[in-house]
Amino acid sequence: MARKRRLESKTFGDRIFDVFNHAGFLLFTIACFFPFYYLFINTISDNELVLRGVINFIPRGIQFKNYIGLYVVKDIPQAFFITTARTILGTALMVLASAFIGYLVTKKEMRARKFLYRFMIITMYFNAGLIPWYLNMSMLGLTNSFMAYIIPGIVAPFNIILVKTYIESIPADLEESAFMDGAGYMKVFRYIIWPLSKPILATIAIFGAVGHWNSFIDSLILMQGSDNLFTLQHRLYIYLTEVSSLDAMLQSSPGSIAEALNQKVIKYTISMVSVIPILAVYPFMQRYFEKGIMLGAVKG
Amino acid sequence: MKQETTNKTLLFILENMMRVTAFFSAVMMFLAKLNPARITILINETMSLFTSAVSFKKLTSEALRALSPEKHWVYISDFYIINGSSIAICLGIVAVALGAALSIGNAKFKRLTTYLVGAGSILQLAGLVGIYVDYTRLLMSVSPDHVMAAIPIGYYIVMAFAILSFLLAIALFIFEPKPTPKMEYEMSRPSQLMIMFLPFAALIFVFSYLPLWGWRYAFFDYQAGMDLTLDRFVGFYWFKVLFSSTGSDILRVLRNTFIMSGLGLATSWLPMIFAVFLAEITSTRFKRVIQLFTTIPNFISWVLVYALALAIFSTDGFINGFLSNVLNIPSDTNYLMEDAGTWIKMWAWGTWKGLGWSAIIYIAAISSIDPVMYEAATIDGASRFQKMRYITIPSLLPTYFVLLVLSVAAILSNGMDQYLVFENPANTDQITVLDLYVYQIGLDKGLIPLSTVVGMLKSIISITLLLSVNALSKRVRGESVI
Repeated sequence: MARKRRLESKTFGDRIFDVFNHAGFLLFTIACFFPFYYLFINTISDNELVLRGVINFIPRGIQFKNYIGLYVVKDIPQAFFITTARTILGTALMVLASAFIGYLVTKKEMRARKFLYRFMIITMYFNAGLIPWYLNMSMLGLTNSFMAYIIPGIVAPFNIILVKTYIESIPADLEESAFMDGAGYMKVFRYIIWPLSKPILATIAIFGAVGHWNSFIDSLILMQGSDNLFTLQHRLYIYLTEVSSLDAMLQSSPGSIAEALNQKVIKYTISMVSVIPILAVYPFMQRYFEKGIMLGAVKG
Repeated sequence: MKQETTNKTLLFILENMMRVTAFFSAVMMFLAKLNPARITILINETMSLFTSAVSFKKLTSEALRALSPEKHWVYISDFYIINGSSIAICLGIVAVALGAALSIGNAKFKRLTTYLVGAGSILQLAGLVGIYVDYTRLLMSVSPDHVMAAIPIGYYIVMAFAILSFLLAIALFIFEPKPTPKMEYEMSRPSQLMIMFLPFAALIFVFSYLPLWGWRYAFFDYQAGMDLTLDRFVGFYWFKVLFSSTGSDILRVLRNTFIMSGLGLATSWLPMIFAVFLAEITSTRFKRVIQLFTTIPNFISWVLVYALALAIFSTDGFINGFLSNVLNIPSDTNYLMEDAGTWIKMWAWGTWKGLGWSAIIYIAAISSIDPVMYEAATIDGASRFQKMRYITIPSLLPTYFVLLVLSVAAILSNGMDQYLVFENPANTDQITVLDLYVYQIGLDKGLIPLSTVVGMLKSIISITLLLSVNALSKRVRGESVI
């Protein structure tokens, strides 16, 4: 009823605005979505047609041999494994640490709390620069080492702020009664704080996982001597920008399946493989993302 | 009474000296320059004591030829000794650091501290003896010229610190009040909290503060693989180079940086308008679809954005395919290889990737506006645009202002991912922003000092900007943004 009244009260100008507004959003939405769709239909269509550039809107000659072929292509399965491993391990450690630190810094009675908190937060706004960072990593023995993907990311100040803000909203009585019963900080964290902050932990877990999955600069700079530690995005970056290395990889890969692949199609397929995990989980995770950035907004 | 106060002051001084000693010992563990185990040039000069202890592979990486059976300048056992000694010293330092941390507990804890620090110091000294033994062995190598055995400066420094902490442990043992036999380990709650935070503080220190030690390269004539010695000290030479001979470079890079940031600042209101207009769409389902698809690009990497760009705009991409095969206009332009409009294109990709996501914060803010305001406005006969103009936008402005201030502070930091992936010979003159430039001169061209200078200046200017805009915001709005 209310809706109907609103429709009636619309002026001519309002309607014109509505048309343009809807059209504008529709166009932008398509612009965001179409590239993914285009890439996808080109990986599942007949490779001959793809090469002639006639697959524009509708897939034709549907097949999935490009995806199967990728399995025999050298170093993609390995990169997939490394990327998955760093995503899982790195995210798990980051979430544990953020939850614990987030809890610690909410405790006003902590000794030197102000200093330690600032000591941590300042690092968000300040860094020594690329070369000092690289030299530092090599001084720590973290070049050509899988641990370079994991350890530096354990303490993530921005995520800690999110967790801290969230924990501050948990009623303090819960904790106090536990302290009365003689529980220590560790017990309170384990049995009260951790279970209650699961929503925010899910949020930062997703932020962290996406960050790990997408990173390639650290591979590029730190792993120059270890081919088996490259991430998927790093392989994709190299194959997109260095045609020769893509050729070399195709030639060194065994089997007739690899022969049937060509440069264009294989680029598209690797791209799809590295984006599918994100597209697959995205709709389910969206609400967590939004919650996360709103909490971040509280801090500003 | 007076006796007691002097005793207290003395203990206070001794205890803090011990903590400071422990802190510096722990830092030294990571400084390659002060590695006591680097007694031969066959050990890479970027090896810190910590790395010498944890990675045998890296310890021997440069000695493979010297170790080979036909040369045998050194023996693998030499490296076992170095590695073992390094492990001993590191464990000793860890014990000292742990002891220092526990000294904030009660008398019983303090007693434990003296034991830990004492034992840790002895372990360090034992490790140092091991290194000395190995040094004498290396002196007898068949080819001294290739081995160049020498006791490094770090050896003496680590030794001094180990002896100092040992003496401090003894002094504390003597002067500290003895714990009563029935005493339990106890620590005040504030101290417990601090102790739990310390391991993370150590991580933060190692990964965020320790790199600042690398700033010294800015003042030396240094190339990868060299020893950093005082005779290579060049003062502010590289700062002058930056603004003279390569002057055209830095000016071009700064121009690109400012243009890219400027375009971003000039259109920073777009997400706000996106949210305002989105709120005007009445169909919830359509709204949800829009939000779902427009936020996805934010979560893919720049490499993937580039992959999509190739698929759409390259020679054999969608645009050309569509023109030639559907509209029958033969076309094979590679839009990514053009040098025209690079700035606008980069801005467009950034907007494509970030617009939907940046709007979320405003969408959340709109949903928290009191609906009564709109109702009152409707009753007063306000039109849709008047409501936007006088209700919605004013309530979003505080958020907008905070974000604007933060992006002004980040004016030099465009990030490098986007520009790195889109860079090619045709557009490199327009696309090289400061972050990418630091990467190019540092890692591609190997100009380590120059790259350090640029990164250093960038960091200093950025933090100054941040603090000043924050101060300005405090003065103007009475609120800080960080």
